[in-house]
Amino acid sequence: MLHYILRRSAVGLLMLLALTVLIFGMLRLAPGDPIDAYINPSVPMSASDLGALRVRLGLDQPLPVQYFAWLGAAVTGDFGYSIQRGGEPVLPLVLGRIGPTILLMFSGLLIATVAGIAAGIISAVRRNQPTDVGLSVLAFVGISSPAFLTALLGLYIFAVMLRWAPAGGMLTPGAPFSLTDLLAHLILPASLLAIGHGALIMRYMRSSLLEVLSQDYVRTARAKGVTEFWVIVKHAVRNALLPVITLIGSTIGIAIGGAIFIESIFDWPGMGLLMVNAVLRRDYPVIMCATLLTGACVIIVNLLTDIAYAAVDPRIKVA
Amino acid sequence: MTAVSQPIARARSAGPIRRAISRFMGNRAAVAGLAILVPILIATVTYDFWWPYKPNDIDLLAMNKGPSPTHWLGSDGVGRDVMARLLQGGRTSLLVATVSMVISTAIGFFVGAIAGFTGRLVDGVAMRFVDLAMTLPPVIFLLVLASIAGTGVLPTIFVISLLSWPVLSRMVRARLLELRERDFVVASRGMGAGLWHLLFRHGLPNTIDILVVFATLQVANGILLEAGLSFLGLGVTPPEASWGNMLNSARSTLVLENYPWQWMFPGAALILTVLAINFVGDGLRDAFDPRAELN
Amino acid sequence: MHRRNFGRLLAAMGFALAAATAMTPAPAIAQDAKTITGGFDVGPGGFPGNFNPLTATAGFTWLSTYYEPLVIYSADLSQIEGALASEHTISEDSLTYTFNLVEATWHDGEPFTSADVKFTLELAKNADSGSLFAARLADIASIETPDERTVVVTLSQPNSAFLSVLAQVMMLPEHALADIHVAEIAQNDWWSTEPVGTGPFRFVQYVSDQYVELAAFEDYREGRPKVDRLINRYFANPAAAVAALKAGEIQFTFAEPDDAKTFEGNDAFRVIEGDSFVVNYIGFNHRSGLWDDVRVRQAVMHAIDREGIVASLFGGAAKLANCGYVVPQFVPEGIEPYAYDPEKARTLLEEAGWAEINGDAPISWLTYYNTPQVANVMAAIQAMLAQVGINVVPRALDTPGYNGIVRGENWQDFPLVYAGLQNGPNPASLNVGLNAAQLPPAGNNIMRVEMPDLTAALDGAMAETDPVAAEAKWQEVCRVMNAELPWGPMWVASRYGVVSSDLVDFVWTPAPGGGPFAAHPEDWDIAQ
Repeated sequence: MLHYILRRSAVGLLMLLALTVLIFGMLRLAPGDPIDAYINPSVPMSASDLGALRVRLGLDQPLPVQYFAWLGAAVTGDFGYSIQRGGEPVLPLVLGRIGPTILLMFSGLLIATVAGIAAGIISAVRRNQPTDVGLSVLAFVGISSPAFLTALLGLYIFAVMLRWAPAGGMLTPGAPFSLTDLLAHLILPASLLAIGHGALIMRYMRSSLLEVLSQDYVRTARAKGVTEFWVIVKHAVRNALLPVITLIGSTIGIAIGGAIFIESIFDWPGMGLLMVNAVLRRDYPVIMCATLLTGACVIIVNLLTDIAYAAVDPRIKVA
Repeated sequence: MTAVSQPIARARSAGPIRRAISRFMGNRAAVAGLAILVPILIATVTYDFWWPYKPNDIDLLAMNKGPSPTHWLGSDGVGRDVMARLLQGGRTSLLVATVSMVISTAIGFFVGAIAGFTGRLVDGVAMRFVDLAMTLPPVIFLLVLASIAGTGVLPTIFVISLLSWPVLSRMVRARLLELRERDFVVASRGMGAGLWHLLFRHGLPNTIDILVVFATLQVANGILLEAGLSFLGLGVTPPEASWGNMLNSARSTLVLENYPWQWMFPGAALILTVLAINFVGDGLRDAFDPRAELN
Repeated sequence: MHRRNFGRLLAAMGFALAAATAMTPAPAIAQDAKTITGGFDVGPGGFPGNFNPLTATAGFTWLSTYYEPLVIYSADLSQIEGALASEHTISEDSLTYTFNLVEATWHDGEPFTSADVKFTLELAKNADSGSLFAARLADIASIETPDERTVVVTLSQPNSAFLSVLAQVMMLPEHALADIHVAEIAQNDWWSTEPVGTGPFRFVQYVSDQYVELAAFEDYREGRPKVDRLINRYFANPAAAVAALKAGEIQFTFAEPDDAKTFEGNDAFRVIEGDSFVVNYIGFNHRSGLWDDVRVRQAVMHAIDREGIVASLFGGAAKLANCGYVVPQFVPEGIEPYAYDPEKARTLLEEAGWAEINGDAPISWLTYYNTPQVANVMAAIQAMLAQVGINVVPRALDTPGYNGIVRGENWQDFPLVYAGLQNGPNPASLNVGLNAAQLPPAGNNIMRVEMPDLTAALDGAMAETDPVAAEAKWQEVCRVMNAELPWGPMWVASRYGVVSSDLVDFVWTPAPGGGPFAAHPEDWDIAQ
């Protein structure tokens, strides 16, 4: 088993390497480099004005040379400077986005989990009654709505029209930090993010609970005269949660990548927004570092899943 | 021996499918989904025969007009008929979603099945390839493809297909890994059955439920992805109509506030279609799930 | 087992919350301080995240609230006036510029002297510093400082654009930057952590990708600013800024024309409309082989109902351009107005043999404008051109992608573009896009215009330093452009800013690149 884990970790490292080659190559295949992003096409400035900058950034070198220069520095932990941000070092910049992204994603997941499980239980208990049909249809609408549309409408209705929450950002600019301020900014994007996840969790919870409720031990509990409420809460829900937790677990791996639409519509300073902006400005040191980080997360989660598979099913020989 | 077992296998596989169909038809939500989907499909495919306006005909004298007897769903910022664009947009969105579904299902099945049936080396390489594809940040992937291939219908199909297959191949592989060690597969391998035989005789029948459900939900997913891509400006670009780029107009406060018909109708059409497909997909999942009968 | 998993999930969330809390700096500033918050780096004149004025291609509106140049454009962009140089004189031969400096102090209390000017100009002229002004300041032969308040700059050849370039060179403190090696200067975090200028506001902090905060500079030479704090909030797009403005969270932002319309008749806001100083054109790629015949280019002009588009899609807020300029003093009498006449367009195309040149094969039409208005305009033009038999297919790219393609040599990738080029306040701006000597990579003549008459006219106008004589020369440039159609000139549109009615004496104009212009931020005030 240890041997297997070691081998898979080595493969994981190789994959990260392959990922960096792929991303670097793809980025530089796309038309336009960071210098092109500097030039506003309607301002009379020519490429020669920026020629010295291009040389200083090493963008005139052949691609493999540029890649190995980047790799050599990255191995020593030096991820370079953001080209579009007046030389902000990349690593702190990217690491600084993990906090806000995790905060947003986990709050969204928390809301989704609580609401989804509650709705799932109600739906399963009231199976095929109007409440169930209503909740199920609502959940399906939630799954079927494009994230950007709910985000746009949510922003417009709750922030601009009703003014219940601030219109984007993470903190009130210039105000001293306060938890209430952070929560006020967090609640709207997190709730909108929760719609899709919550609807999915509700569907899983409902079907999982329905299955558990038909099991023998539940029937036994009922037969023993345990009240219906306790049957559901003590016996059924606990056992029905397992697939739901697996579902939530599988979202955590990709959570660090951030939510592109919600983050860009709400100007939430997370990984998704950082990535979109970096791509639009061809700020490749930032893109490379962020990709490496999110890639590592996905690879680790996949590795853990495979180890779990191997541990559970003895027929899959690992050694 | 194979000659004897084949007819039995065929009889067995016809049974579950027939039962699945009858289970599906008994699912009210799924049938409702079909009832919504079929008229939408017919309308988008045939609209040029019965609707007088063309989706790209501009009329600078009739800009931003609300719904009226002439323009049922109003007109947009350059006086194009919203109804015509909605139907053409539906055609584009459904085309993108369907074609990319076919491509990603095919890739997903082959990669997963080959990984599941062949030796450990191929399996390892294929699965690492899948991991790599899943690790790629979608934004970068989209942007680069869009810049190399240009935006439009074909690149969008390409991008969506390439983004979606890895999940399926993991599911197919997981199912076939169990199968690989089963007696009948070991036996037919032992008798020298080729890869094609394994894939289509054993792989396909044993994963057909996964494939059908994935394919259905992938159409819904494809419609949503197309809309998201077009929203980021990386999908189907105007003036070509798609539901995604029609919704994109809601980004302008003016349109959002004052001309709701320009985004509400495509939004409603999109949600309704995806909803209907999800109903159908859910019905299919239950229909293929033998445990569903227990409930 | 399940419960423990769930507990771990909750613990992780708690940790995330704590981590995010700990990572956020907490500025200690009184709540009752008068604060103006705006989206100063929204729109084409902004450059969010850039703190180094030497590497700025835009964003000067914001930079000029804490840095100052020697000379600056007036708020209506009609003339250049003094800023850190109270007055300047130019010698007879247009080679020697003498600047008399004002008495000013840096934000850290050090006096501003001629040594700082010499230091800044040398730094800006040195490409090693990452400066984007190096090429444009290359004509500087020497910089002398006879005393603390005087700077004498000598040029190697007359340059009519010298002062307008200087208007964007922000003065930097020698005492703070001299110790940093020139090659390290662009990557130093001084710019975003502790920059020092002479402007009315001083730098407080930058919260990555969220906002920049400035505070009033108590010792500003024109008097302490009326507000205590100035905050520049960053937005991913103009629509988000408009939402924040409507929600009352900011007091000012640039707005797309469509968004600006939603404020009409709303007393709580004032819409500022200004000339963009950018002429939009349909660019013919002269190497693509499609547009060699002038009759084809004329046909494009006649096929487009520009008046109809301006009236409907621009709501009248654009001026038709028949050459590179719309300012009356540069437009001569009697030039061709290229009225909408599809019949004439068809005839011209037939005479030119369009069916053989291209026929109805699709022509890719690139743009870097990603606004809803331009998408509509291009859709309208596409339909109009289709009526005369020119089949164009609009394609919107992001800025680096567009630049990457049009600076390349694959002519088939960009046979046609919809673009803009700055045409004022200094008319010489157009030279870089039209002069045959400015072909890439040297210059910005991306459409590869090589018209000897036009080059001669531009060279003549560029060399003229006398303002009155120059007008006639620029009129000649206009006449040649109108007759030979190096581009299909379309219009000069207005740009908009929206400001809360609470702001008093607030000055903003949609200057190209954000100016800078004499906005006098020290006078801005907010009604309580």
